[in-house]
Amino acid sequence: MIALVFIFLLMLLLKNPTLLPFTNPDQSTSVALGFILIFAFLFGKQLERLKLPQITGFILAGIICGPYILKFLDTEQVASLQLIDGLALSLIALTAGGEMRISRLKGRLKAILSLVVFQTVFIIGGFVVFGLVGLNIFSFLAANTWSQSLAIALLLGAIATATSPSTTIAIITETKSQGKYTDLILSVAVVKDFVVIVLFALFLSLSSLLFFPDQGFDVSFLYHILRDLGGSMLLGILVGGGIIFYLKYIQREMIIFILGIAFFTYQISYNYGFHPLLICLVGGFLVENFSPHGDRLIQAIEKSSLPVFVIFFAISGASLNLKALQTSWMLALICVFLRGLLKFAGTYAGARIAREEPGVRRSAWKGFISQAGVGLGLAVLVERAFPTWEGGFLSLVVAVIAINQIIGPILLQKLLIRVGEAGTKS
Amino acid sequence: MRAIYAFGLLILLAFIGTRFLVRKKSLSTLNYLFLSGFVYIFLGLYLGHHGLNILSLQVLAALDPLVSLGLGWIGFLFGFQLERRYLRRFSKNAVGLSVLKTFFVFLCVFGVMVLSIERLFPEQPSYLRFGMALAFALLATVNSPTLLNAAAFVLPSRGDYLYLARFLTSVSGFWGIVGLSLLFSFWHFPQFETHLILRGTLFLCVSTLVPALLGIVFHFLTKEKISEKEILVYVLGLVFFVSGAAFYFNLSPLYSSLIMGIVYSNFTKIQEKLYPLLLSTEKPIYIIFLILIGALWEFRWDWSLVLLVAAFLFARIIGSTLPLPFCRLLLRYPHPLPPIYGFSFLSFGGIGVAVAVSLKLAYPLALTDVFLSVALLAIIVSELLGPKALKIAILKLDSQKVT
Repeated sequence: MIALVFIFLLMLLLKNPTLLPFTNPDQSTSVALGFILIFAFLFGKQLERLKLPQITGFILAGIICGPYILKFLDTEQVASLQLIDGLALSLIALTAGGEMRISRLKGRLKAILSLVVFQTVFIIGGFVVFGLVGLNIFSFLAANTWSQSLAIALLLGAIATATSPSTTIAIITETKSQGKYTDLILSVAVVKDFVVIVLFALFLSLSSLLFFPDQGFDVSFLYHILRDLGGSMLLGILVGGGIIFYLKYIQREMIIFILGIAFFTYQISYNYGFHPLLICLVGGFLVENFSPHGDRLIQAIEKSSLPVFVIFFAISGASLNLKALQTSWMLALICVFLRGLLKFAGTYAGARIAREEPGVRRSAWKGFISQAGVGLGLAVLVERAFPTWEGGFLSLVVAVIAINQIIGPILLQKLLIRVGEAGTKS
Repeated sequence: MRAIYAFGLLILLAFIGTRFLVRKKSLSTLNYLFLSGFVYIFLGLYLGHHGLNILSLQVLAALDPLVSLGLGWIGFLFGFQLERRYLRRFSKNAVGLSVLKTFFVFLCVFGVMVLSIERLFPEQPSYLRFGMALAFALLATVNSPTLLNAAAFVLPSRGDYLYLARFLTSVSGFWGIVGLSLLFSFWHFPQFETHLILRGTLFLCVSTLVPALLGIVFHFLTKEKISEKEILVYVLGLVFFVSGAAFYFNLSPLYSSLIMGIVYSNFTKIQEKLYPLLLSTEKPIYIIFLILIGALWEFRWDWSLVLLVAAFLFARIIGSTLPLPFCRLLLRYPHPLPPIYGFSFLSFGGIGVAVAVSLKLAYPLALTDVFLSVALLAIIVSELLGPKALKIAILKLDSQKVT
């Protein structure tokens, strides 16, 4: 605690306006990076003492130090530090893939698919009903007819369906969890990402048609989806093969190799429109299930992942637009509540159909609340497709994500502790 | 996006480099270029905006914190090695010799460079010319133990000369970095046109005390039983913070990180835990740093540059060799110190690059571009000559059986 206060006071002193004439503002990113790394980590440790997840601490530290509260990090610095996001996302996806063992998942396939289907149907259906019943709710997005409200509700529903695999895996890693709840939650979160991406592309084209009927329906999106998903899986196979080859024949400097793979994957996926999450997921999955090196891969990632995770979540906190939360907090709260309710209903129904035990039916929904990068990325795509909304949709989604990203990790951590899976992995 | 691509590329190149560094244990010039990592400066130059432009200026701006991390890391590692129990093993004579050697090299190079810069750049303000000459003189005082360490495996000699040379090259960087911190603290034009001494002293105190305090904080943070992963977060965060803060105030990141390293290594009892961690991260960070430096290098070629390189190297060799017998007399050193022994001290190593770069980054002026070019060229020439010169010096001294 003393170290936390000391480093905080030191940063406060460095940012003192009277010292400004003696500073070089162009060289402020490194000091900000160092500060956020230590501050967020120490803050996370303090929250851990209160039985809360460390990553909630990292996110809160980012929010506190970000451009809207203490301004230790300004918007430009946050943008430049997002270089690390690519690395973190790929590392997280590799870990997630490496954690999915076919032998463990085989018996749960029905439950996984059932939960994915029912959550998706319930959430999108629920948001559509919500949009149509409360027609005026989306008037700030120039939705004047029921078809336009339907379009917005579909997009919101698709985004709300997603659960953040990165947050899920971070909490699982932090709590050292292992077991059927852990497997189920992680697998559903990952598979849902596929489904959400496909549905979102479909709904985006449909929404364009509903808002601008003159443009006609663009079927080329189907080709793009197939190309992106197929290409990502092929690249994932290549990455997985490369890692297996490396682990078998070279085995040196694993940390550097993994970091290099993570960044290259991320970059290639951006240049060609592939999904970095999917590539690394497939890669990790292959290593875990088709070679004897899965454990070594996870160990190598875990060695270097902590600083990357701290910065990743702290920066994701700092990049949350609090002004958006301020302007649309009421509607955001309604959406958060509605999403939670629909997650519960979808999970309950899915688990019941799959004949899962009552505990899973009642409480597994808590594992699906967190929301992060994918939702944000999709909202940005919506903003690009509908520039006349002037940021209204994005603000709403950001506000919803901000709330979910605070409560989601806490709920998941509590769930894993309650069902006795936390601390079971060596 | 290019920044991410460039970063990924850098990491993979660092990996390839690591494999070279680990495998090559010979003392030929080419192998030493790999061993010392200097070949990556050329690679960086090729990838930078003078070459392929993959590491464009925009990308380099985004990767700026990595340069800061590299400088901080070098300073921290250097300070971390300056442990009392290690330094106590050397006699007062050896410490005295390192001070005298540094002093003579400094004096010689400063004299030559003041005259050379005045001749070649008369249009520049006198305080800039003076500052540049000081920077050259400070740069000349630093050496790297890397070559000597490699020689210990390869050369037949195991005598006192090699042992002493390893000590001298290990601590020479300390004097150079301390000198650099004085330059950084007092050289703040135009802010320090008035109250120069007061403000300079204040800046020097701040750049010493704050990292020292952070070193103590680091000690307390790692005092409890914590995992290696947590130590990595603290060490990375503090090095980023200290070197970043130093740059933010135009102070020396090398010096601040060095102080933190010294305080930490002399306080803590977990060196055994930290050493492997530092060693495993050192090589990749160092190579990434060298590639970025190569890319940042505003390379140009003209006669004034060649003359400056020649003058600088000549003065440094003179300062390293000729005063050695005189040093022996002053210190009443037990072994003869013939001038040829000075050829053991040609190599600058990474610390030389770090000194040159930190000055260029803190003072982005046309004259510091010249400084960086001259410094990097002189360092590369020295690294090319270093292995041969060392072999000649140590083998000749061995053959004379003076040890």
